[in-house]
Amino acid sequence: MKKYEAVIILNPNLSSKVDSFIKDFEKLLKANTFNIKKMEDIGRRQLSYSINNHNKGHYLIFNIEGNAENIINIENKIKYNESIIRHLFISVKEHDGEDSQLLIDSRNKKSESEDEESNVKNEVKEKPTDDEKKNEEEIVSKEESIEDVSSDSIEEDSKDE
Amino acid sequence: MSKYELPKNFDYKNVSLLKQFITETGKIIPARVTGVSASNQRKLTRYIKIARFLALIPYTDMHK
Repeated sequence: MKKYEAVIILNPNLSSKVDSFIKDFEKLLKANTFNIKKMEDIGRRQLSYSINNHNKGHYLIFNIEGNAENIINIENKIKYNESIIRHLFISVKEHDGEDSQLLIDSRNKKSESEDEESNVKNEVKEKPTDDEKKNEEEIVSKEESIEDVSSDSIEEDSKDE
Repeated sequence: MSKYELPKNFDYKNVSLLKQFITETGKIIPARVTGVSASNQRKLTRYIKIARFLALIPYTDMHK
């Protein structure tokens, strides 16, 4: 028995079918003597570079345990599955039962984006006050006067010549 | 040179940690610059390369 971590990046367009994929994958693992110790659904995430013209991917992380010889059978099946855009099996000494940093980050991002949405709604309600408009007008008039001065000085220079 | 303290357990999933050890262009920063111990630098290199493969961090800033 060996311990592995399997990372699978799914086609983001099939995000809604994740549950059925996970069930199929579980069956495949069980057929090859593998047990799932833990499953993490990270969710859709921006890829750092595009893979097969996809800019986002649905990340899944499995902690699995089983016979090392059978992992080749699983990989052969996964290779020809078009809904998987990338996969990686890593052998590990021990599974740590804690949530991975990736899962924690994605959770934090979700809560942040929700906060931002509520903030945006509040900002829309606040309209710009009259004072701000006046200030803008003053600045514009100042800029015009500066331009006038500079054009005058140029004319004087030409007279000297 | 100040020694940089890394957490005891970290791996390719600590993306924000790994990002501190690559340049803007995506290169791995040498240990003589960051002050990381040799054994930790070997771990970092391994994890950065895994994270790159999984598109968690970029190989370069020239990706299309």
